[in-house]
Amino acid sequence: MTDITPDKQTPRAESPLREAWGMFLRNHAAVAALVVLVLICFTAVLGPWLYPTDPFEMVWAPFSPPGDNGFLLGTDYLGRDLLAMIINGARVSLLIGLAAALVSIFIGVTVGALAGFYRGWVEEVLMRITEFFQVLPTLLFSMVLVALFGASLPMITFAIGVVSWTAVARITRAEFLRIRELEFVMASRASGVPNAKLMFGVILPNALPPIIVQSALMVGSAILFEAGLSFLGLTDPNVVSWGQIIGSNRQYILDASYTVTLPGLAIFITVLAISLVGDGLNDALNPKLRQR
Amino acid sequence: MTDTPLLSVENLSVRFEIKRGGWGKKSYLYAVDDVSFQVPKGQTLGIVGESGSGKTTAALAVARLVPAHQGVARLGEDDILSKEGEDLRRMRRRVQFIFQDPYSSLNPRKRVADIVREPLDSLSDKSEAEKKKIVDDLFEAVGLRPEQQRLFPHQFSGGQRQRIGIARALATQPELIICDEAVSALDVAVQAQILNLLRRLQAQFGLTYLFISHDLGVVQHMCDSIAVMYMGKIVEQADRLSLFNNPQHPYTRALLSAVPRVDHPGQPSRNRVLIPGDPPDPNNLPPGCRFASRCPIAKPDCSQREPLPQSIGTTHSAACHYVGTDALDAIGMAD
Amino acid sequence: MALLEVENLRIELSTRDGTAPVIDDLSFHLDAGETLSFVGESGCGKSMTALALMGLLPERIGRIASGAIRFDGEDLTKASPARLREIRGNDISMIFQEPMTSLNPVFTIGEQIAEVLRAHQGLSRQAAWDHAVELIDAVRIPNPKGRAGDYPFQMSGGQRQRAMIAMALACKPKILIADEPTTALDVTVQAQIFDLLRDLRAQTGTSIILITHDMGAVAEMAERMIVMYAGRKAELGPVAQIINHARHPYTQGLISCVPHLHDVLTEDRPELFEVPGIVPSLRDFGRDECLFASRCAHVTDQCRSARPPEKSFEGGQIADCWHAEAM
Repeated sequence: MTDITPDKQTPRAESPLREAWGMFLRNHAAVAALVVLVLICFTAVLGPWLYPTDPFEMVWAPFSPPGDNGFLLGTDYLGRDLLAMIINGARVSLLIGLAAALVSIFIGVTVGALAGFYRGWVEEVLMRITEFFQVLPTLLFSMVLVALFGASLPMITFAIGVVSWTAVARITRAEFLRIRELEFVMASRASGVPNAKLMFGVILPNALPPIIVQSALMVGSAILFEAGLSFLGLTDPNVVSWGQIIGSNRQYILDASYTVTLPGLAIFITVLAISLVGDGLNDALNPKLRQR
Repeated sequence: MTDTPLLSVENLSVRFEIKRGGWGKKSYLYAVDDVSFQVPKGQTLGIVGESGSGKTTAALAVARLVPAHQGVARLGEDDILSKEGEDLRRMRRRVQFIFQDPYSSLNPRKRVADIVREPLDSLSDKSEAEKKKIVDDLFEAVGLRPEQQRLFPHQFSGGQRQRIGIARALATQPELIICDEAVSALDVAVQAQILNLLRRLQAQFGLTYLFISHDLGVVQHMCDSIAVMYMGKIVEQADRLSLFNNPQHPYTRALLSAVPRVDHPGQPSRNRVLIPGDPPDPNNLPPGCRFASRCPIAKPDCSQREPLPQSIGTTHSAACHYVGTDALDAIGMAD
Repeated sequence: MALLEVENLRIELSTRDGTAPVIDDLSFHLDAGETLSFVGESGCGKSMTALALMGLLPERIGRIASGAIRFDGEDLTKASPARLREIRGNDISMIFQEPMTSLNPVFTIGEQIAEVLRAHQGLSRQAAWDHAVELIDAVRIPNPKGRAGDYPFQMSGGQRQRAMIAMALACKPKILIADEPTTALDVTVQAQIFDLLRDLRAQTGTSIILITHDMGAVAEMAERMIVMYAGRKAELGPVAQIINHARHPYTQGLISCVPHLHDVLTEDRPELFEVPGIVPSLRDFGRDECLFASRCAHVTDQCRSARPPEKSFEGGQIADCWHAEAM
């Protein structure tokens, strides 16, 4: 056994966050996924400057295979540079994924927190509403929203967010129900802490771990959702997204399969990376796995 | 004990609504049923009882952490139960709570200095410098080092966490501190440290304790007077010596005789008062004495007629029809 | 020959900081029909000893590093998993602290007891059920025929613990390990369970290993006890003798730091005896010194220089303390 000298010094103040980060670093798959994800984000942000080809411009003969005339990923049916499209598409896909996740977190956490904290009729009403949204056919509902109000980026984001907040609401409510009975919440009440602060200053920080994990996974599913919508043509024609590339090239899948598979691969890698990071977060934030 | 009581509770009841499915009639579970007690200033009243006796609920009601259904609780001259808003906040400053579980009673996301400071932030209008000074003094009073203030709860042992909980309870200089099973989750050696600390602090700050516990040994050590609860009722109430040396209620006798002792190792307690079975269903209580179903001296009458507290001397009362009769001799205590 | 003999048992637990000996050089024996009690604070290794006896150490985390556990002459540390399964339940069985979580909530208690009988004794369905009802009666649950059809959640804590005992005794084990069996129960129910265990032992001759933190329970239930501290034995011997004259300062502390009930209470209320500090952390386990030294009032340089040897006294009392004679 390695001999460890006991330190009688006061230990460093080790915040729960720092400790969770330590746990995260031990999950190699998650760390690798995080690196990939950071690279994808860099590409999304800086890519258009580093590779300034216009994704809408016809630059070469249609259906040029990857590598042809220096176009690394080839061109699509209109002769547009696929690499430029995927780089620019990353922006839109990630942006919609993040924004839609934020929308659903905002709705879900608010609804779940109020229901779990106040219980009684507030809980009844809010959870019935949640159930109503849960049983809606999500794809159909968001298609209706986009079809009615126009296929702009904010509208698509909102449509995705508004159909996917129910899971967050249920998780938040469950966590609130559990945590509000813990003694430290009782102690804060005995200390006269007002309700709003109890909800968002005392209970919510302790309810965050599963919400964070769920949110990470939701970014992934929002990207998939957006891809689905744009595949069906419900997309802003002025921007390019991964799903839209697949959708517009879908007729040529047999002749030029790379025009569909390459953006598909981009979606796959991104969503997989997000899932792995979410998994790592779950392990890192789950107090059962952490030793006391 | 002629001092005016600091805390005086009269006819306190706490009930919880039970859902019986559908829109049927609401029914209620009386966790605390018509309970009265007093705690003189600077003293400790112990409430003992088994699980489900309502002792913790009574304490939570006094601290305004669960709503009371009926009754009066006075702190000095002020009625605790009717306070709202600013008055309630002022009252909370005077009544603080120490919780059972040292692991769940501290917010894991906060530094311990902030945890101890929380009551000051919410309940007082002291300046930052004053608060800092108070927190420093409290850490010293409960035996923690100043440099530990920056740490998070999970970096402390159970005993140290309970010290932090005590410091938090002392922050607003309360008059009454309610200790709800404050040492039951601790190992015995640490339990002794905390019990000694509580008694030292009581002498130092003139504190009054309402001490809730299931451990008769601890109650015997800590309390000046004791109330024994069973199924929401106080069955016996007495000063420390009378209760332990001359218990009058059959339940108190059974409880005392059930505690394993170290005095006579190798043999089971003599004169054990056997009470068979389990407590009755709290949703469906008998009209009379709630202990009748397990009582060794119960007569048919007992489950029909409710016994009222009867005085035995000035500081002792028991709610049993047979107080002071021969019937009790059948369950005589050791020696 | 003793029913169970444990020799120089060492159990290692792997942690983030390396391996730690959670049981360090422990030797004891258990006679047939005897009650032996393990006492100590949480984390001292009481429960780990029980798990080792059952062959149930947490996989990949804990392992028996050296030593022998001889049950009826057979070394359990070398037994195959299949043989251990056979011994568990048949010859050694165990009851736990929380009877709610150790019973399966989706089966009735009758079914669960009958299942044990069918698995270990090959009884038919009907015979097993009938025997289960008899066992439920033996642990004094009223109306055994009716209650056998109850699910665990329909019973009180005390009755669940009785059901656990019935299940543990189903195959007439030679050793019953009770790990804090009454810690979650009320004191009047605890008294009933202790009475039950005492009577069952008298009827069946089962040896009992009682793991507890309550010196009162030890005094009432056991003939001999072992005081554990930081994975090591601090003191071992007859209960009455140790309570009257403990030779290890930790045992003395454990006995006098608890406010016990006494036959006659007096006005006198001295401060409780304090054992300062807390138990050492796992990474300090296994050091070649007295692990209690930092909390001990009688500490000398010798205590910090080497692990104290066993010192034997009359009556089979053994204390692992450099200054045991002077205590």
